[in-house]
Amino acid sequence: MINLRDKGAEIWERQGRLGRVGIALGGLAIAAALPFMGGTILNTPIADYESVLVYPIAMYVLMAIGLNIVIGKSGLLDLGYVAFFAIGAYTMGLLGTKTDLNTWEILPIGIAMAMFSGIILGVPALKLRGDYLAIITLGFGEIVRIVALNLGALGRSEGIINIPTPPAIFGIEYRFDSHRIYYWTLLVLILFAIWMVRRLSVRRAGRAWESIRQDEDAAELLGVPTFKYKVWAFVLGASVGGAAGVFYASKTLFIAPDNFTLQISILILACVVFGGMGNIWGVILGAVILGYLPDRIRFISDARLLVFGLVLVIMMNLRPDGLLPRKKREKAIVKKDAL
Amino acid sequence: MVYGVLRMINFANSEIFMVGTFATIIIIRDLFKFTQASEPATGARLWLILATALIFSMLVSGVLSMLVEIVAYRRLRRMNSGVLAPLISAIGVSMVLAESVRILTDSRPVASPRAMEKKFIGQFFDAGVRIDNTIIVISALILFAVLITFVNKTRMGKAIRAVSMNPNAARLMGINIDGVVSATFLVGGLMTGAAGFFYVLKYENTASNIGFELGIAAFTAAILGGIGNIKGAFYGGLALGLLETYASFFLGTQWKAVTVFIVLVLILYTRPNGLFGEALTQTRA
Amino acid sequence: MKKRGLISVAAAAALAAASLVAVAPASNAAAKTITLAFQGPLTGEEASVGQDELAGMLYAVKLFNAKNKGKYIVKVVQADDQGDPAQSAKVAPGIASNKKIIGLVGAAYSGATIAALPYYKQTLLPMISPSATRVSITNPAAEGGAMGVPVFHRVPPTDKVQGPSLFKLATKGVSSPKVFVVDDQSAYGVGLVDYMKPAIPAGQSAGFDSVSDKTTDWSATISKIKTAAANVVIYTGYFPQAAPFFKQLRDSGYTGILAGGDGVLSPSFVTLAPASVLEGVRLTAGTVPLAEISAKLEADFKKSMGKASGVYAAESIDATNVFLSCVAKGVSTREAMLKCVKAYSGKSLTGATIKFDAYGDVAGGAMNGFEVKGGKIAFTGPVK
Repeated sequence: MINLRDKGAEIWERQGRLGRVGIALGGLAIAAALPFMGGTILNTPIADYESVLVYPIAMYVLMAIGLNIVIGKSGLLDLGYVAFFAIGAYTMGLLGTKTDLNTWEILPIGIAMAMFSGIILGVPALKLRGDYLAIITLGFGEIVRIVALNLGALGRSEGIINIPTPPAIFGIEYRFDSHRIYYWTLLVLILFAIWMVRRLSVRRAGRAWESIRQDEDAAELLGVPTFKYKVWAFVLGASVGGAAGVFYASKTLFIAPDNFTLQISILILACVVFGGMGNIWGVILGAVILGYLPDRIRFISDARLLVFGLVLVIMMNLRPDGLLPRKKREKAIVKKDAL
Repeated sequence: MVYGVLRMINFANSEIFMVGTFATIIIIRDLFKFTQASEPATGARLWLILATALIFSMLVSGVLSMLVEIVAYRRLRRMNSGVLAPLISAIGVSMVLAESVRILTDSRPVASPRAMEKKFIGQFFDAGVRIDNTIIVISALILFAVLITFVNKTRMGKAIRAVSMNPNAARLMGINIDGVVSATFLVGGLMTGAAGFFYVLKYENTASNIGFELGIAAFTAAILGGIGNIKGAFYGGLALGLLETYASFFLGTQWKAVTVFIVLVLILYTRPNGLFGEALTQTRA
Repeated sequence: MKKRGLISVAAAAALAAASLVAVAPASNAAAKTITLAFQGPLTGEEASVGQDELAGMLYAVKLFNAKNKGKYIVKVVQADDQGDPAQSAKVAPGIASNKKIIGLVGAAYSGATIAALPYYKQTLLPMISPSATRVSITNPAAEGGAMGVPVFHRVPPTDKVQGPSLFKLATKGVSSPKVFVVDDQSAYGVGLVDYMKPAIPAGQSAGFDSVSDKTTDWSATISKIKTAAANVVIYTGYFPQAAPFFKQLRDSGYTGILAGGDGVLSPSFVTLAPASVLEGVRLTAGTVPLAEISAKLEADFKKSMGKASGVYAAESIDATNVFLSCVAKGVSTREAMLKCVKAYSGKSLTGATIKFDAYGDVAGGAMNGFEVKGGKIAFTGPVK
């Protein structure tokens, strides 16, 4: 089977600076124009196409990028990523309804809350490895939901209603039904997250994560402060999840513990692995497909999730490294390490 | 157990368990024609029913488990794809299983008619000892002993352990890896099927969506006890059950999960390899 | 909004091709096609409630189409929200912008209803829910006013009515009740308890517990009940959990009264535990199971839909019939439908009057009592 990732990289490398800018702008233009393609084959039956673009697609992309920092970049299996999403959303829900702060002012607070909880969870949990880390993060995700379910201040199972939409910024108005505006805003957030990840991967942090992912013991012996960088990856991932949460609450106007189940964590993980762990473009593609598919196939009504499960099995068997895997050079090393 | 050998979380296992519960109910309800109004069976007939249901449930789950391995894992394992791809593949399989059963059962829960009367047969420190619980505890102990003997004493058991420790070396020693992995899944499935039977015996209810939640609990128990350590998984399950009961009694049922989680963190913090665990780094090479 | 037009045309085309509809023979070219929608959980963990309600709606539509052959063809669009507010928020705009849909039965769950309301309010799509009983949706005293006005209506009485009634029924004839209340942590169960609490006289409460609806082993709650020496246990949740809970409670030696709300009142409930265990369980609901209304109705339903009727089946049929009677009057737009629903006054399956007040609740809304007798749910008259 051809390796799409390497093909893509080849084309990319052959281009000059101008060509690269062209490709990037072209891709961006297509992404930005997606809301106008509702009349085409892309349209989703029953569910509103433009809403689907916002949630789940764009939200999943953002969260998958965040989770990819944790899993794809540094190899830490996190099964409770939804916790950070929930913390962001509840920060928005609480402050948005109880104080005069608006979405833009709450956004940094929500991110800070998510990062803070990332540290709280990360410092004890990241001393553990692999599977233990997985179960601890999984537990954490459930705990956040259970706390929201049982604390009166968080509305218990009834959740929080009447969360305000973001106020106008640069003359752009946010109404609850202006899906396109939300979508474009999310696009900007996604671009920012991509930029952040790319900047970091070529610097010291990126190299440190890479070394942790390949062989943690060797990295430690070579003087990489592995623990520090692991927490750092965890916290960065958390911040992206928190940002997504704040924005989500401000879009749906209503949040309840049911929105933040373990299934979301697993689905986002599936996005990352399905698309191609460690490769940000693969992850984005994976999130787009997995977010979009369940709504596209609504016409088979009853068997919808069954087919979705089948697609997961078949695709993972055909392309075990994801749709767009990471570079061969990196993969070879991973393979030797596996099993 | 499957987890210990393959070093991966088998998400589909909980759905195999779910299918096992249905298999048990089919035997009791459709083969022996029990209804909610019928009188519980007694004597030899009761033992016949229980044995048939147990064996059928184990067989169905065992075969299903092998099939799941072939569909979801085999190809990926041959390609050395790492840990995460099979994980997602297994999640896909469990969605397929759960949704198929849901559609077959009209999304409704299903109950098992009462085949065995729930008699109290004695006292044990103030608490009544019920016959179904007694049977479950004794059978679980027997199965546990059989499993340990199988893994430690038989040729196949040795092969399984060898693959678990170092698959490449095992292959070089002439062990058929595919066969061993299939056998592991079969044994794991048999055990899961037995668990499904016990579940029905005790709770007499099932539904297409019970797998997920119970799977998480089982997984937690395995981790708590120590990965790849059957004895550890057993004690881990025991400890978890006790902890849950105490926590819900003293702090309120809704905080049960929170308490368990905090204790889990504390245990792992002080004993990073679980209560009876082996050091991960040693076996990973 | 040219784009919108395009979208809805495409959506309509996709729907016509795809959704499972109750279509009358296509030979009647003159028949007027009317589209209604159902919103509720149709896949995933909560699917049982939604599938049962949908069956009720499809049954009512099937009867209507057969009766009005050549005049009307009513189609049903199935909007699956998995009972999840997040899913609801993306389904709702799609339903709202599909102008062919002039009435919506649903949403099944209150959380999903709240998430969907902004879109339906904006496009004035009339809703009648068979099971969303959260008080705040129609409560003018709630923060921000009754959020459901003007589009939201519902057939069942709210938790505010059911909570105290359930307590009353459960303690009926008990000389010194000690009541232990268990909820399932869902918005439905917790809401019911919140409105029951004020109705419990001092000294009659033995305690409360809140248990996840994923629970399979109830021993922790049972030991609490025994410690509190309760003689009345009320469960506010749904039947799939109620049956095993009651069974384990009885098996532990508890002999007092068991009671539950309309979430438990499903024909499936009595199939989930031995008859001897469920004997005497007391239940409340705004309406009654089809089999209780008439055995013939239930038999016809089973023949027509291929399965027994489920929880909220009667409510779904009642809700659908409100829309259908408006269709029969020639209503074909959302505006006219909303007006017609607001002015509607008719009889439910049980013969009670359905008439919505200004906030969308059925005026009056008394609760009925039931008791399990000999493995069947029997009607015992209104709760007074």
